[in-house]
Amino acid sequence: MAAPTLAERRPEIFLAALLSLCLVTLSLQVRRPGGRTVGEGWLLVAVSPFVDVVVSVRSGFREIGTWAESRRALRVENRALTAEVSQLRGELLRLRDAEEDKGRLLELFGALPSPPPGTVPARLIAVESSGPFYTALLDRGASDGLQLDGVVLARGGLLGRIIALGPRTARVQLLSDNTAAVGVLLTHGTRSGRAAVAKGDGKGSMSIEYVPTIEPVEPNDRLVSTGTDGLYPGGLPVGRVASVRRNKAALFWEIQVAAAADPHGESLVFVLPPLRKSDVTSGPSVAERR
Amino acid sequence: MKTLRVAVGLSLAVLATLALGALNVPAPPDFFLLVVADMARGGAAVPAMLAGLPAGLLQDGLFSPGRLLGLHAFSKILVGYLLATVGARTVVEKPVAVGGLLTGAVLVEAATLTFLIWVLRGDFLPPAPLPLAARALTTGVFGGLLYAASRVPWRQRREARRRVRLN
Repeated sequence: MAAPTLAERRPEIFLAALLSLCLVTLSLQVRRPGGRTVGEGWLLVAVSPFVDVVVSVRSGFREIGTWAESRRALRVENRALTAEVSQLRGELLRLRDAEEDKGRLLELFGALPSPPPGTVPARLIAVESSGPFYTALLDRGASDGLQLDGVVLARGGLLGRIIALGPRTARVQLLSDNTAAVGVLLTHGTRSGRAAVAKGDGKGSMSIEYVPTIEPVEPNDRLVSTGTDGLYPGGLPVGRVASVRRNKAALFWEIQVAAAADPHGESLVFVLPPLRKSDVTSGPSVAERR
Repeated sequence: MKTLRVAVGLSLAVLATLALGALNVPAPPDFFLLVVADMARGGAAVPAMLAGLPAGLLQDGLFSPGRLLGLHAFSKILVGYLLATVGARTVVEKPVAVGGLLTGAVLVEAATLTFLIWVLRGDFLPPAPLPLAARALTTGVFGGLLYAASRVPWRQRREARRRVRLN
């Protein structure tokens, strides 16, 4: 059975239209106790969803505005906080650096309890290696009182000497440089040491030659400067024996030395004034030079 | 033609209602309903509703105590549609059946008015049963009589009487 078409439904549509007309007419005449007509009441009921929608949209827009404003404020605040965090982070790094410097200085003062007059603290700002040559750069120069052949001392021990001087910088020849050498005293256990010469091997460490095999040498034997080489004062830690083996002729030891001071791990150093000629003959210790 | 018929019918309904009201006749028939029912004959719903609208408005304007314009128009339109629907689906030939249909229409209209007043005013005021029954009965009887009278072949009878006199 086919559903009736719109034309067939004409009487019903007509009926609905007429009844609606009558109902609207009636609703506009009848007043409820509140003074409002029934039609107004129905109209309000019918319109209230639209009013709700409009109110919701308006409040939604207001919320979006508030959200955008607070977002903008938060972004500004976030930017300020980020800048503050960066500043604080930098400050923290500086403080940590200062704390580390303080620790290093304390260790330095421990290693060198009474630095001789003319000792200048400096910061090691670069370590350079070019083939067999090992040098480092200090942030102090002649204007700060540094002199050529000034002895550079790090926390662990002897590091090298000044070979070039600028007004505000100084170049240091490290002990691991191929052309560097230092007179050392090999101490084995409690025995008094045997004098030798430690030379830079151009590979970042040092070696000792011409120590007869009859001398007892073992790994971890300590090396201190003798002060007789005319460059470095005596009594400063130079390193320790890393490995020992006989040479081909089997007359001398081939000794590899691990430096006491690592230039890559040091940022603060002491620069001692260069050794005087009178100091060389007697071979004084640092403490004696005060 | 139908419009004229409705206009004449409504005029007569107004006059009759006023006359019976002046004579204080208890439970007068609903003459306006008779006009609507007349238009609903043969199942024509739209003319019946179109007749119901002015009939109801006239009744509201002239005779309703509350002067709620549209109250009887609503009920008359609905009754006109119902009568036309019944007329379209059933064959109502006998005057008694027509009278019964009109009685039922009065009752439906009363129920519709009660419902409308309840919806609009919030008061449920059912009509008094006896006056309603009397009004429904008089409307049914009067409508049945009118229908029966309308089925009498007055012209042929008059012609026949004239031929008898001439002969």
